[in-house]
Amino acid sequence: MDRNVCIIGGGMSQWGVRDGSQRDFFQEAARALYDDVPQLNPKDIDGLLVASAYTERTSYQTHLAPLVAEYVGIKPRSICARVELLCASGSSAIILAFGLIKSGQADIVMVAGGEKLYTPQKWEVFYSELASVDHDWDGPQGLGLPPPVFAMVAKQHMKQYGTKKEHLATISVKNRRNSAKNPKAQFQTPVTMEEVMAGRMIVAPLTLYDCCPITDGAAAVVLASEEKARDLTDKPLVYLRGTAQASLNNMSANMPSWTTWEALKIAASEAYRKAKVEPKDVNVAMTHDCFTISEIIEMEDLGFCKKGEGGPFVAEGQSDFGGRVPTNTDGGLLGCGHPFGGTGIRQGIEVMRQLRGDAVQQVPDATVGLTHNLSGFIAAHTVLIYGREVA
Amino acid sequence: MTTPGISVLDGKYMVTMDLFPQQSKEFNQVHPFYAFLQEGRLCTTRCKDCGAEPFPPRVLCPDCYSTNMEWVDWPTTGTVIDFTEEVVGVPLGFGKAPLVHALVDLQGKKTFFVRIINCAAGELKPGDQVKLAVFDVDSVPQEVGRDVVEMQRVFYAFEPVK
Ligand SMILES: [Zn+2]
Repeated sequence: MDRNVCIIGGGMSQWGVRDGSQRDFFQEAARALYDDVPQLNPKDIDGLLVASAYTERTSYQTHLAPLVAEYVGIKPRSICARVELLCASGSSAIILAFGLIKSGQADIVMVAGGEKLYTPQKWEVFYSELASVDHDWDGPQGLGLPPPVFAMVAKQHMKQYGTKKEHLATISVKNRRNSAKNPKAQFQTPVTMEEVMAGRMIVAPLTLYDCCPITDGAAAVVLASEEKARDLTDKPLVYLRGTAQASLNNMSANMPSWTTWEALKIAASEAYRKAKVEPKDVNVAMTHDCFTISEIIEMEDLGFCKKGEGGPFVAEGQSDFGGRVPTNTDGGLLGCGHPFGGTGIRQGIEVMRQLRGDAVQQVPDATVGLTHNLSGFIAAHTVLIYGREVA
Repeated sequence: MTTPGISVLDGKYMVTMDLFPQQSKEFNQVHPFYAFLQEGRLCTTRCKDCGAEPFPPRVLCPDCYSTNMEWVDWPTTGTVIDFTEEVVGVPLGFGKAPLVHALVDLQGKKTFFVRIINCAAGELKPGDQVKLAVFDVDSVPQEVGRDVVEMQRVFYAFEPVK
């Protein structure tokens, strides 16, 4: 049994520095999801996958999926479990739901992701980030927080390919302009090139607007078999076409390259092969802009432009509306913020809307969309390809 | 020692809040790494069957899957390829800004991305030589039978060769 799988609806809580708890945000996201799929009776959802990375550290809660099920009013009977891959937890959970439905082990699965990262004293989440890298080896080098890592990536990319600070700034301006039109985003105001270039130094060459923030919030989607999807929504169907995830190393000393993300190239080529598309077929993309330099390298290693030409590519507007592949049309991590487990779900929602044709800022006639996450010390890459037609 | 807001934890050690790895034999099979560090040596494990020298050290060879591993010394000096200086957002436990890191070519064995200590802002440049720097970190009060024994610990960074 090999079935077609659709993403039929999605919703988000407000993202930002939020009042409330993790369980509050999951309920808000579920409410928004139920509003997006009015024909769905939540009691008919047979599976739940919950994506959350820091639930044990900042909410002191494990065994999270049954808790979320209880709060959002569903009674899973095919799967009820949590998925963790730090920044890619949400996309990982979507991949697993896709596989379960495709193989007939589940029919209608909610995939919800989110975090309450801010604690009564803000130092705690930053301290807890020691768990994001190899705790015993990279953590004690002061590499729990990622800015030094991506600053080194940016420095090497600049040295090797002539990428400029202005190229990085283009990404901040674009993604903040997009998030200003997304009512759920953490940042509701655009920034100018001048403001970005004058941003406060964090780790050279990265300044304030090169870095995504820490964010509270949640998001949820529902995936269903094509047969069920036809009954549950009147909106155009959006299919999961192909997915892949790759990891070549974990600790920093084992990085194959700082400027070419080899695991991303593997994940991308596997996802393109399974989805039966090529980079040129992708109309819209949500890529992991945890830092501006990330989006530039992702344009290259996803095959949207030649290696080393990511800087000029974004500066020419090729990743903006009207360009080759409009990217992070909802604001990305830089604009929406980044509650780790929520991010992949948010990306899935925006790509679904782009392919349904009801996005806030619509890419005309988009038929193939892609989402990408990196996670850890650039240690794993996750690529999902969605389409208006099956692969 | 008091733990505000959680009075029952006063005076208690929490491994879940520890910056540094456990280094006693009861909690870590690569504990000799830290004993060698105390002697100023940077060691890893070598596979006696295929010769691989994976880092971090480990009990299973990732190349041939043998568990026949022995300790081997690595160089303690290397060359700076490039560096970063974190001026805002230095995490708790890593001193005052800037927090300096460098990509260090360890004489061809590995390229480490490590913390550089005893190094002023603006001091480091590509091509500089750096050397292993071992320092004491907080000991762990570990239960041994009915007693609590302070387990001494160290960790490492690199520092400029002056
Ligand atoms: Zn071996």
